[in-house]
Amino acid sequence: MRSIFLLDLTQCIGCEGCVIACKVGNELPEDVTYIEISEQVHGTFPNLSGGFANHRCYHCTDAACVNVCPTGALFQEDELTRVDSSLCSGCQYCVRACPYDVPVMVDGVATKCDGCRDVTKAGGTPWCVQTCPSDALRFGPRDEITAEAHQRASVMREKYPSAQVYGESQTGGLGLLVVAPEDPDELGLPADPQVPFISTVWQDIVKPGGFAITGFSIVAAGFAGIIARRNHMKELRELAEQGAAPSHDGHDDGEVQQ
Amino acid sequence: MARVPLEITRRTLLKSGLAAGVAGAMATTAGATRSPAHADIRDDRWFDDGDVETTYNACDMCPWHCGVVVRTVNGVVRKIDGNPHDPKSRGKLCPRGQGGVSFMYDPDRLQAPMVRTGERGEGKFQEVDWEFALDLIADRLNTIKERSGPEAVAFFGHTAGDSWFAEHLPQAWGTPNAAKPSTSLCISPRDEASLMTFGFPVGGHEPLDWEQLECVALIGSHIGEDARNTVMQDFASLHGRGGTIISVDPRFSSAATKADHWLPIKPSTDTALLLAWLHVLITEELYDVEYVEEWAAGFSQLAAHVEDKTPEWASEITDLSPEQIRKTARAMGEHAPKSVIMPGRHVTWYGNDTQRMRAVMLVNAILGAYGREGGMYFNDTPFISDFPYPPYAIAGSAGGCAADPDDGDDDDDELGELAVGPTGKARADGAQDTFLQGPTAMQELIEPMITGDPYRIEALICYGVNLLHSVPLPERTKEALAELELFVAVDVLPQEHLAWADIILPEATYLERYDDLYTMSHRTPYIALREPAVEPAHDTKPGWWIAKELGERIGLEAFFGWEDIEEYLDDRLRSVGSNINDLRAQNGVIIQEGKPFLEDYEGASPFPTSSGKIELYSTFLEAQGLDPLPEYEPVEDPPEGYFRLLYGRHPVHTFAKTQNTPELYELFPENELWLNADAAADLGIDDGDYVTLTNQDGASDGPIKVKATQRIRRDAVFMAHGHGHTSPGLTNANGKGASDTKLMTRYNLDPICGAAGMRVNFVRLESSEA
Ligand code: SF4
Ligand code: SF4
Ligand code: SF4
Ligand code: SF4
Repeated sequence: MRSIFLLDLTQCIGCEGCVIACKVGNELPEDVTYIEISEQVHGTFPNLSGGFANHRCYHCTDAACVNVCPTGALFQEDELTRVDSSLCSGCQYCVRACPYDVPVMVDGVATKCDGCRDVTKAGGTPWCVQTCPSDALRFGPRDEITAEAHQRASVMREKYPSAQVYGESQTGGLGLLVVAPEDPDELGLPADPQVPFISTVWQDIVKPGGFAITGFSIVAAGFAGIIARRNHMKELRELAEQGAAPSHDGHDDGEVQQ
Repeated sequence: MARVPLEITRRTLLKSGLAAGVAGAMATTAGATRSPAHADIRDDRWFDDGDVETTYNACDMCPWHCGVVVRTVNGVVRKIDGNPHDPKSRGKLCPRGQGGVSFMYDPDRLQAPMVRTGERGEGKFQEVDWEFALDLIADRLNTIKERSGPEAVAFFGHTAGDSWFAEHLPQAWGTPNAAKPSTSLCISPRDEASLMTFGFPVGGHEPLDWEQLECVALIGSHIGEDARNTVMQDFASLHGRGGTIISVDPRFSSAATKADHWLPIKPSTDTALLLAWLHVLITEELYDVEYVEEWAAGFSQLAAHVEDKTPEWASEITDLSPEQIRKTARAMGEHAPKSVIMPGRHVTWYGNDTQRMRAVMLVNAILGAYGREGGMYFNDTPFISDFPYPPYAIAGSAGGCAADPDDGDDDDDELGELAVGPTGKARADGAQDTFLQGPTAMQELIEPMITGDPYRIEALICYGVNLLHSVPLPERTKEALAELELFVAVDVLPQEHLAWADIILPEATYLERYDDLYTMSHRTPYIALREPAVEPAHDTKPGWWIAKELGERIGLEAFFGWEDIEEYLDDRLRSVGSNINDLRAQNGVIIQEGKPFLEDYEGASPFPTSSGKIELYSTFLEAQGLDPLPEYEPVEDPPEGYFRLLYGRHPVHTFAKTQNTPELYELFPENELWLNADAAADLGIDDGDYVTLTNQDGASDGPIKVKATQRIRRDAVFMAHGHGHTSPGLTNANGKGASDTKLMTRYNLDPICGAAGMRVNFVRLESSEA
């Protein structure tokens, strides 16, 4: 059985050890990280609750990024999504398609967590998992991770009554299951992440013909038009900026003031 | 503080052998310098670039010393991982530990020895070679010794090599004025309180038996922000199995987010809470009656003392409800003896800290926690022999020379005699005069540099202590540094105090050097190796080499009777049937057995107090005219318009040491001022605004970015310690954020242990441009 990730947000204490381990192990360029940690605290003094949200690739089974990638730079392997930046054409479709707002462009090529492909193929543990001092991260066979996630959620319901497992159903099942201490939506994890419709047909219609440079601008324009609406994360961020809704965005560290 | 440049005149190529010529250029000599950070995404991996060599080390990104394995490819360190065999790291690392590679390859590192060419504080230096620098220091030290005695030289040291610079050298040389910031500016109150109560200090690694613990109370300990790796792991495991967590903190800290009970206490009132907890535990008989009968002395006095310290009484003082106080006391009692208050680390808060820590110890004692599974185990120090050396010129112990005097008589309540140096002088920090006892108080050695009272400290050798970011009253420190005959700074980075130094000695980082063995006091005492992964970069040298070369020039060659460090290490290891190669083959650690629990003592008392019991009532303090049982003493509240300045940790930084480390800087470039969101609204300050801070005495610093948050009380503000650097040589950290130390223009001296209580400063906020 192939391995997937467990991210236990009831345990994560926001230390950012995983962020740096990943950065060093993968030699990421300045200002690029594959994980972002942000605090998610709700309520007013002294009635507060919450903890930390992690923003990182969820390794979707029905992965929008892979579906839209015209070059094969993003691909699926061993239940995870991988990146081969050398194949990236810089079209940014993945950036726009991902319902979790994950891939980023660095010097013209897309990148994101590849599940530490080379490390794990060599029999190692992903850098982030290996270092996490809070045992918030695990990497293992899907059935074990699933059982562990449910076990943890049930223990944690004592402390966090709405503790639950997130990711078993989303986008065909995530390659990273989350133990959430509260409603996942509060942590920036949409119950129903919107995979752009076009990304599902893209694969079948356009991709088989290969990435034709001639069709690029037309497809890109049409595609871009519907992306904003579907990008759940971005919408929420915009709403938050207008003060209309709590920020679920993993990118800023300001908590919700109500 | 004024921004002080470090203007360096580099040695010429001929004279120094350095490859770099002009000021500011990066020298590339012996050690490998890493190629600049990758500009783009790599698809291939560093571990495919060549053979991966593994060396063992003890992380030095904070003083916790987690065991690590260092992975080097083609002479370049690429990755550091936790050593799975090491009892502290257990294969994992905190963010700072992961940032060690970046610390070593920081282009701002000091590159060669330097002597001052400008005025003190001006920051003008000329690079020289080691021979010249060491001869110069030795010459001046010898002159001072002849004229004023060795006691006129102070040694300050912190982190890995401090055993050379704050213990071995000063003791051999003969000065009682050796100090570490980790005592009187950090843990002294805790360790003195423990000594008085149990007969032993808490020790480096707080000995909680986390594996079986059921309930922990944290008084200000902000685990998770204080990123000590092992403690984070242990705390997480308690949380993960559903253990009870009580967090007493004016801030909804990272640890508080995991707590079952968060008590947002009014700062400075913790002792009142502790006394009320004692009251509930005793009046409701929630304490361990049998244990107290067998092992504790003075219980009836304690019970009488807290009789009127009701939760209602404490509620008035602490801003907590009587119900909260009762509920949490009951939670602790319910789990006794698998229930403790974590002693914590930095506890020098208000100047009455030893008494507060005594109250902590008393709660733990009556919960029956000491020597019990799930409570507090007994730490042991590993057995290993010293390399032979002649008798020291002055007695001493860790934490600075002449730490705790011992008159050899355990049965009285008298103070011991202070150790004296060869010319008859005892330490100049006021021990037994302005305070009772405890390790040498660093901040109390500053004044004698200025006033000459009780005698003048004329020289200072400062190893790895950022004086202007750790000792309160930094303006006084500058004045003192200006008065010194000789100021030598050994460091890795161009920290601000270096601008005052006469001679700067650049040290190799932990990844580039051997060090003395780590002998860790622990449940399973152990010995750990530090070995170099690569050659020292530039013209830097390991601490042991600097100490030995200096020692040999000041008449202490007999104390360095080894050719090189490998001989020294092998000799010590022989006493435990090992050597460096063996230790390497054993994954870098030798683990011994301890005696962690009461059973291991077979009825004998594990408490080396004069009564052989836990001294709830301190006849020693009573004999000194001090409170034998802790009292709550109010401290001054912030005046109108001011907030109490609280400070603490951010997980990616250590002290004032790592703010410049590129990969850590990237994650947290500047500290923020936590300000209650409602208070911010009242002041018309928005989240993200920049403010200047001015304290009660007019000292100011900033600008600092405001984090307007519900996560803190209205009467205090909080910032991560160690930011607000002012050294242009720290190209990342310079000018980022604010310095808490700069806003500490006063402190309260702890009358028992001489620690500096630093949470007695207040600030007001003014809007400012970024
Ligand atoms: S290392 Fe673990 S605890 Fe720290 S931020 Fe990452 S997931 Fe959270
Ligand atoms: S989270 Fe985004 S980047 Fe990751 S697999 Fe899913 S669609 Fe792709
Ligand atoms: S799995 Fe590897 S690439 Fe992905 S976040 Fe963890 S360390 Fe980074
Ligand atoms: S706690 Fe972190 S910084 Fe300190 S020694 Fe351990 S890994 Fe290093």
